[in-house]
Order: sequence, then C-alpha cells, then structure tokens
Amino acid sequence: MNAQQPLRSARRGHLRVVMATTAAIAISTLTLAGCAGQGSGSADDTTTDGKIVLSFWNGFTGPDGPALQQVVDDFNDSQDEIEVKTNIMPWDTLYQKVLTSVAGNNGPDIIAMSASRIPQFADEGMFMPVDDYYDDEANDTAALTPAAVEASMYDGANYGVPVNYATMMMYYNKDLFTAAGLDPEAPPTTWDEFAAMVPQLSTDDNGDGKPDVYAIALADHETVPIFPSLLWGTGGGIVSEDGTTSMLGDPASIEALEFWVDLVTEQKAAPVGLSGADADKLFQTEKAAIEIVGPWMTTGFDEADINYGLAKPFGGPVDDAVLADVVSMGIPSNASDEVKEAAYKFFAYWNSPDGQITWANGSGFPPTRADVADQITESPYPAIFGAPDVADSARVLMPGVAAGGPILETVFTPALQRALNGEGTVEEIFTQASEEAQAELDK
Amino acid sequence: MTTTIAVPPATGTSSAAPRRRLRASGRRALTAWLFLAPSLIILVAFTLYPMIQAVYLSFTDYNLIRAAEFVGLSNYVELFQSAPFWNAFTNTVVYALVVTPVTVILALLFAIMLNQAFHGRAFARTAIFLPFIVSLGIIAIAWAFLLDPNIGLLSYWLGFVGIVPEQGWLSDPRYAMGAVMLVGVWKNVGFYMVIYLAGLQSIPVDMYEAARLDGAGPWQRFRSITLPLLSNQTLLVMVLALIATLQAFDQIYVMTRGGPFFRTETLVMLIYREGFQELRFGYASAISFVLLIFVFILSMIQFGYLRRKQVTY
Repeated sequence: MNAQQPLRSARRGHLRVVMATTAAIAISTLTLAGCAGQGSGSADDTTTDGKIVLSFWNGFTGPDGPALQQVVDDFNDSQDEIEVKTNIMPWDTLYQKVLTSVAGNNGPDIIAMSASRIPQFADEGMFMPVDDYYDDEANDTAALTPAAVEASMYDGANYGVPVNYATMMMYYNKDLFTAAGLDPEAPPTTWDEFAAMVPQLSTDDNGDGKPDVYAIALADHETVPIFPSLLWGTGGGIVSEDGTTSMLGDPASIEALEFWVDLVTEQKAAPVGLSGADADKLFQTEKAAIEIVGPWMTTGFDEADINYGLAKPFGGPVDDAVLADVVSMGIPSNASDEVKEAAYKFFAYWNSPDGQITWANGSGFPPTRADVADQITESPYPAIFGAPDVADSARVLMPGVAAGGPILETVFTPALQRALNGEGTVEEIFTQASEEAQAELDK
Repeated sequence: MTTTIAVPPATGTSSAAPRRRLRASGRRALTAWLFLAPSLIILVAFTLYPMIQAVYLSFTDYNLIRAAEFVGLSNYVELFQSAPFWNAFTNTVVYALVVTPVTVILALLFAIMLNQAFHGRAFARTAIFLPFIVSLGIIAIAWAFLLDPNIGLLSYWLGFVGIVPEQGWLSDPRYAMGAVMLVGVWKNVGFYMVIYLAGLQSIPVDMYEAARLDGAGPWQRFRSITLPLLSNQTLLVMVLALIATLQAFDQIYVMTRGGPFFRTETLVMLIYREGFQELRFGYASAISFVLLIFVFILSMIQFGYLRRKQVTY
C-alpha cells in the first residue's frame, strides 16, 4: 500500500467514469434514433423530380388488393405530375391510426374508409368537404351510382368519392341443398320460404342436440350489418331517414327482430354468437347452407371448391332491400390546395371507365358506374353483384349519421346479443335499446 | 473507503477550494447514474411524461382533433355515475379475485412438483413457462380457435365427453368470463412458477431433514418450512399478479371484445373503447387515473399486510 496504489485506483475509477459516460451517450443516441425513425411516414409531398407524391391509406388487404394496386399503377403511368403510393393495412388498424396521424400532420393524403364511418370522423373535423369535386363537370360524376355518391354525405356536405360499391348477395351451397332434398336451383326468395326450408337445412346428425349443419351463417357482431338490414324487410330500421329519430322500438322493427330471433333460437337456423369471420369460416367449411355477404368472399369460396350459387337475398313481407356497403375516399382537412388538386385527378381516374373496368375485372366488385357494366368480361361477379334488380334495391345502413357507429356497437349489438341469449323478450330489450339509441342521436 | 488524494472534509459541499477529483463514493454514484441514464430517460419520456399528460387530459374534453378544453372534474363526476364504469369495475374485481389466487396457488403447486427430479422435468418447466414469453394477442387468437364451437379442437374433444355448449364458449354470457380467465391464468402461471422455483431452491435442505427427524409429516413441513420461507416470493408474486389482473385487456380484446353485451368488459377494455373508438380521450384518461389510484392503494395494502407476514429462520 504505497503511494502508487491510490493513483492507480483513481485512474481506474476515472477510466470507468469515461467508459460509463460514453456507453450512456451511445445507448441513448441509438435508442432515441431508433424510436424517432418510425412514424415519419409521408411528410414529404414532392419527390426530387418535381412530382407530387400522394400517400393513399386503405384497408384492401384481401384478394382485391392487387386489383386496386393495378389501377393505381395505371394512373401513375398515365401522367408525370402525380404519383400515388398506397399504404395497405387492416381496416381496424387504419381506423385507429388515421386520426392520430392526421392530427399529428403525419398522415395520408388520401384516406379510404367505409362510408358509414365517415360521418364520425367528419364530425371530428378530420375530413375536408369535396363538393367542388362533384360540381366540376369534367369529373363526370353524373355517371356514378347515386347510392355510392350519397353514402359519404354528412350534414349537408359530401366528404368522399366512391372507391367501391359492394352489395351483399346470398351465397348458397348447392350441394347442401341437394343433400337436404331441396332444389339447388331454387334458393329462397322470401323470409317465409326460407323459414320453411330451415328444418331441412339445419340438421343434427349425431343427435347431441346441436345442429352439425346450419341453414344460415348469420353473424351478430363484428360483421357487415346483415342483422340490422333485416329490419328493412318489414319496413323497420334502426334510425329514421333523416337520421334524427330511433326506430328500434317501432312495431315493424320489433316484428322483424322477433321473427329472426325466434328463427335462430327456437328453430336453430343459425348458431348464436357468430362474428363475421366465424360466419365466413362456417360457410367455407360447408357447415352452413347460406351466407349473405359481399363480393370479397368469392375468391375464398372458389378456392375452397364450394359448389355455390349467388342470388338476391330473400325479401321481407314489405320490402326486399339489399344491404350495400360503400367505401369512399376523402382528403384530410389540413391538406394543401396542391395536394387537393392532385387527389382530385386521382379520384377522376379511379372512377373513369378505364379505372373501373380494371377494378371490376380484378376484384369482382361491381363498378361504381353502371355504364361500363357490359365491358367487364374477365370476371362474372361484377355483373351478378351489380345486376339491375340488386342495384335497384340496394341501400346503405344509416348514411350520414355520425352516431351510427356507436349506436351499432354499444346499443344494437349488445341488445341483439341479449335477445339471442334469452335475457328478456325482444320487445323489452329493444324498447330499452331504442331509448339508448335516441340518447346517442341527441348527443 | 476514501482515497487519500481527495482533500475536502466528509461533510457537505466543498468550500472555496474547488475539488480536483470526486471521491470514490461520488465517482461510484456518478457511474451508477450514468449507467441508469438510458433506461431512466426512456422511462421518463415514455412512461412518466405520458402519465402526467394523461392526468392533465383527464380534466379536459380532448378528442385528438380539436384543441382540448378544460372541463374540470366533470369527467370524474360522469364516470362515477355511469353504469358502464361500474360494470367494468365489477368485472375487473371479479376477474382479479379469481385469477390472482388461482394463478399463485397453481404456480406454487407446479414449482413444488417441478422441484423434484424426474424425466422430462426440463420439458415440463419449459412448457409451462413458454406462454409467458409469447405475445398475449397471439395466444388469445389460438385459444379463440380452440374454443370455437364448430371448428375448434377443444370443443371437438369435449364433445366426446358429452360437453356440448349450445353456442360458443366466448359468446355465451355464462362462460365467456371463464374463458378469458383461463387464458389469463395459463399465460402467467409459468412466470410465477419460476419465481417460486428460485425461492424453493434457496431453502436449505437440512431444515427439511431436521423436521423429518422431529417427525413432521409432509403437510406440516410444507406449512411450517416451505410456505413461510417463501414469504418473500409470495409477496412479490401476489403483488405482480394483482397488478397484472387488474389491467387485463389483451385476451379480452382479442377473444370477446368485451362481449357478449359487456359481460367481459374490464376497466382497461372500457378505457380502450371510450378512448380509441368513441374518441373521448379526456374521459378515458380520467378512467385510467382512477384505475391507477385503485391499483396503487391495493398494492400498498398488500405490501403492508404481506410484509408483516414475512418470516426468516
């Protein structure tokens, strides 16, 4: 222990501090750099060669994705000033991310979403009205299907331009029909015809009290709103035409609900508690004879080699309205004029005859404009889903109602689930639900 | 242990003469802080700051697009009067009251069983621990498939034993909570088992020898030696388990979305729904803060109670 030791240990200690500092700085820098790297999505709107770059967020993750990309590529190739870049993600991810990104000025330039959700976001101030797009005759908007155009209207202004227009048709399994002793070419056309077929289609072979094959795969949550659309059959509905009054407690609505709840719970026409994805799986594994769903399932069912037919869904005693789901695209409210003009050009191309022919051929969806229907030769589905008798009866659920989403999620679906689980009579449950829906509308 | 180079006295800050080098203890402290710095920075930036921000937001009506307007206590008043909040609160408490003891007791059981050598012990330990490191979202998807009444494997096997649910486990209001509880237990039991295993292995074997010589039976040995000497681990495990169960969300979001008709909606699920679906971030922040206080109080009570029960021989 001479004078050397303290010096050495002091130097070692000093070295340790230097190393620790360097390490700390290095780690902090690397970590923060890593974190900062994400989320810088599409800040720049121009590329080096002077083109305007538009980022287009949408949820077409399925087999219709490539068809959409084809139209986008065609648009990019057709001119030199604008380039559209797609950013495809699952719909729920899009709904969660879009508001935060737009608020953070970090978001897309073109946003596609289900037209039924546009009012909620427009109410929050996320979208910019695009009425001037429709006013400009050069955009040829008169050729578009009116239902597709009106779906994105909210509070007197139009916030979107149609991306796709999908009608829900009745897929029916011809083999299961034959096995049940029914004519495979004669699907039910009315509710009563269907009800008569249920005992033959819902079969319990192994006698355990639960059907092995069901007549219909009818989802009650996380699905396209088929159940709500059934209310139209008796002239009922969830919300009045003008979007101000709840119709859930009306006799017509109760009648429709009692008919269907009874068919599901007493006659075992469908399993209780299916989600949309469960219903698709059920039909795909041939455990359900019928499913009412949109054109996006054709590829999946074709690949599963199901011998199915397509028909207009069975009509109710009063009305045979068919549910239509519209996806529209809009522009964020903080977009610059330059971005807006460029986006309008893309909108016009998407809805042009060329754009729609490419889209319909590739996706099987009907085109947003009826005048090109006979030029779609590569897929039989657009003609089926866009057939005149279907298109004439097509109706969108609760268009322009900002509270539509919340009503469906927090009022209708829980009430329906309660009814299907026998927690009270349909009348009690839905009268109560009607009051809750009215409260949502009045907010 | 101070070096002889440093001159200033041990008390307080230095006087007029500047220090040329820190004392070793000061150096050690500085080194320690520097090593802690990266984690601390991240913790402050991504945990503490958002927490404070959320508390601020809970007094506003923030909805992400429009500027936040101060609304005082109205969010808190509203939530204490709202049926959905109390429904979620009840569900959360029920979930915690069932899952916490079940997980802890099961973990202890597994630890004791797997502390004895037998063929395949390593495999068993891995198998029980594996769910802990797999993402809960993925586990929940897998379980949702297994429990599917029409195409699920578990439902198929149960069918042989005669258990055929009328409708899916996850959409039946009587069983949905049980299903998410099952996944909750299954996910975390491995982690607590590992903690208990470490504790078990630190109990000196001669204690058991001595007890056996004194004629204590296995149950007596467990009660008088094992359990008390595991009191440290029990404290840790119970606090962790309670905190985790009070925040149950992942498997509920994936398997039932809070349904059927809100029967499985817990507080965090409600926070998610109000915040990200209804876009009421101010209100959701208020609920989060109430949950935070609740968890904090419960943890303090637990600490106080279990601390007193700690034993060392």
